[in-house]
Amino acid sequence: MRRGLLLASLLLFVASTYVLWQQYRIPKPIGITPSLTGQAEYCLTCHADLPEISQSHPVETFGCVLCHGGEPLALAADLAHSTMRGGANPSDLSVVEVSCGGEKCHSGTSQVDRDHIQRVITSLQATYAGAIAQVRYAFGAQPDLTAQMGVYAVDGLSAFDPTTESSPVLKAFGSNCLSCHLSAQPLEGDEYSRWSGCSACHSPAPREDGTLVHKLTTSMLYTQCDKCHNRGNYNLADMQFHPRDDTPTDRLHDYYQPIAEFTLCEWTLDCVECHTRQEAMGDGHIYNNKKEIQYIRCRTCHGTLDSLPLTYTINDENDLALRLAFLNPIADLKVGDTILMTDKGEPLWNIRVLPGVEGTTPTYELFSKAEGQRSTFKPVIGSTCQQKPDLQDARYCHECHATQR
Amino acid sequence: MRPSFYDHLHPPTIPAAQARLRYTLGTGGLGVFLTLVVGFTGILVTFFYIPTPEQAAKSVQELTFLVPFGWLMRNLHYWSAQLLVLVAIMHLLRVVFTGAYLPPRRLNYLLGLSLLVICLFLDFTGYVLRWDEGVHWALVAGTNLVRSIPLVGEGLYKALVGGSQPGATTLIRFYAWHLFGLMLIMMAIGVWHLFRVRRDGGIAVPPPEHRTTHARITRKELARREGLAMVWATFVLVVLASLVPAPLAPGIQEGSTSASENLAPWFFLWVQQLLKYGDPFIFGVLIPLGALLIVALVPYITPQRLSPTELGRWFPHGGRNVQILIAILGGVIILLTLLALLPLLN
Amino acid sequence: MHVIAMNAMPPKGNPLSRRNFLSWLVKGSLAGSALIGLGILGRFISFQSEGNPPTQYDLGLASDYPLGSNITVPSARAIIIHNSQGYRALSLVCPHLGCVVNVISDGFSCPCHGSSFMHDGSLRNGPASHPLVALRVEENAEGHLILYTG
Repeated sequence: MRRGLLLASLLLFVASTYVLWQQYRIPKPIGITPSLTGQAEYCLTCHADLPEISQSHPVETFGCVLCHGGEPLALAADLAHSTMRGGANPSDLSVVEVSCGGEKCHSGTSQVDRDHIQRVITSLQATYAGAIAQVRYAFGAQPDLTAQMGVYAVDGLSAFDPTTESSPVLKAFGSNCLSCHLSAQPLEGDEYSRWSGCSACHSPAPREDGTLVHKLTTSMLYTQCDKCHNRGNYNLADMQFHPRDDTPTDRLHDYYQPIAEFTLCEWTLDCVECHTRQEAMGDGHIYNNKKEIQYIRCRTCHGTLDSLPLTYTINDENDLALRLAFLNPIADLKVGDTILMTDKGEPLWNIRVLPGVEGTTPTYELFSKAEGQRSTFKPVIGSTCQQKPDLQDARYCHECHATQR
Repeated sequence: MRPSFYDHLHPPTIPAAQARLRYTLGTGGLGVFLTLVVGFTGILVTFFYIPTPEQAAKSVQELTFLVPFGWLMRNLHYWSAQLLVLVAIMHLLRVVFTGAYLPPRRLNYLLGLSLLVICLFLDFTGYVLRWDEGVHWALVAGTNLVRSIPLVGEGLYKALVGGSQPGATTLIRFYAWHLFGLMLIMMAIGVWHLFRVRRDGGIAVPPPEHRTTHARITRKELARREGLAMVWATFVLVVLASLVPAPLAPGIQEGSTSASENLAPWFFLWVQQLLKYGDPFIFGVLIPLGALLIVALVPYITPQRLSPTELGRWFPHGGRNVQILIAILGGVIILLTLLALLPLLN
Repeated sequence: MHVIAMNAMPPKGNPLSRRNFLSWLVKGSLAGSALIGLGILGRFISFQSEGNPPTQYDLGLASDYPLGSNITVPSARAIIIHNSQGYRALSLVCPHLGCVVNVISDGFSCPCHGSSFMHDGSLRNGPASHPLVALRVEENAEGHLILYTG
């Protein structure tokens, strides 16, 4: 009996000290109470080394759970992560409305340019409606090039289902050629590696060693776009994707596939310098072809022999241009500055008219969105350009200016 | 010197045969101890638990992750509760297989059976209080099962749930049952049960003229044995609480869908399996009540065959009928439980 | 002269017997476990959730508190007095046992035990033994009044 009591007492004492040690081992919880939610969350206990995702989403205001979901009070990884939206990517289109939406966030009204989600989910990059229409038309499944189907059903488009297509070529199209839209998983390989949803463009892809980069940005390098673009060609004859097989050694040759010659702008500037928000994210309408939404022209920045590029002067501190400049502070934009504008009124906020002498042709300064590099240029007006005023497609400018390959 | 309450429960000496561990397995005393632990730890976790649908699962998570040793108190509460149900069942089996239900102990047998049923409901109401996805469907199915009872089902459902579907009123009512309703009933019956043990002459042993030994142990020796058992029990509880955490899941969200398998709490798995076979009232209410009835009738099934001289031993010859009956019933319940767990293997 | 350490010498001159040692070990382990248990209980009970009340209140534009006004701020349990010396704030929490005092014609009166205070918060009579606490209130760069209760 005594031995039993001795053993039991010692074991109980050891177990009690084990309990103390277990509690001591628990890391001290680090909590924040973001001002938008008012609820304490403890993600930082394990994730304190994560950098701020962007200057417009400070963690003291947003916290983590508002965007990512998850269990704010749990300190066990499995439980804490169990209700996260979209895994590591809350901007996946299946959950984007809950994660990024909201009237004051990214699913507000178009009048204040806060309708990003509505625009993206109807955009060509998300629906792939143009490519689907073209291929179906080419193989007799539809009578014209009007977009009828997207990779998912939205706003009048039905969902493209290769299994219901009668043509085996279209079935092959469904299997081989649908890896480059915003809800698709990319092909294997670092050159294709990207996220889905908003993060496909706005977040850097995972690094080569597999670690993730916690960042949202509006200044994307051309390499971001080239995760889908310039990766190869689709061949309608064998309905396969043929990846490019050249081995570029400089920016120009890396930027574009060996399919054409390009002007200086086209390879020294990143895609985002010219292609506007409406072009990339859509304007809320269903289009049949990317040609219908792509409207930027050389003359948008350079003007024509007869006319200067469109500009406007910022007079409202809530102007979209100032909001965009805040996200990427390269140009120190202020109320009163005059900036370039597209035909549809989109601000080219990183191109500013320099104050000049009355009566002379103005000079423009451009700050590159990726690196903030400043350069200046003069418009076509008053130059020795040979263009015909009514032939303003890019290919006409290319005749003289596209010399690089 | 007037005897104290402690002296009432621990007479100056008791027959050594009543205190043999191999006879009683200590299950009765262990039940009392576990009840004290579950009650005490229950009070402690009540300090942090918030009984509203929005806050319940959050407060359980706060207790588990943020309160110093909150995880320990919750796990102790959980393990002492589950072990209590197991020990109560073992105690029932011990009583049946040693014939200790014979008169004058028939009433006490029924009191003990009632305690087991109350413990099962305490376990279930405590389970529901988590208000997380792990309990969501057990709550829905369990309350709807009540509704399946003819005539009184709807009324019972409304009384239990407090509305047309489980919500804030349900939670507060389950809280009231768990902390007060069931607890008060259990206290009353529990005290009565312990009183009856003494009144019926202590733990069942043959009458003095038929005992093989007349050795007795003092109350001090009895207390030493009880103390040793408590130290061992505490050690086991602390080890379990430290190594195996109580279950935890994200809080119930509106419009959530189930996981591929929704399992009932372990002590009701056999009922969940029965419910796969047919009409909910028959398979979910009548059959389990029938099983309970069989167990309740044990003292009335051929008691004349068992003589008091056979008491104090396992599997007395005269109690064979009852032993086989309960063994089969127990086997069926275990089989149903295992069948319910089969989907987990896939 | 050598000193005999009396407590190190077991009684009757016997060395510490194995039985006594084991008994000491049992008692020590049980006592140790009990102490640890009490310590655990203490730490458990004394946990405070987050949620300390705010110590700063933005009262809005200073122009909302014109000269000569006495405006109560219920959420901060304070009153803002704007007189010729500037902005002053008094806590309306009675220094006796914490009830919120009422504003009356000649000062403040506590409805719980009858303490009364003058217009400037000083004690007139009553079971309270201190005047109403003066709080710091300042105008910030944007023209808002900020009240500090911390």
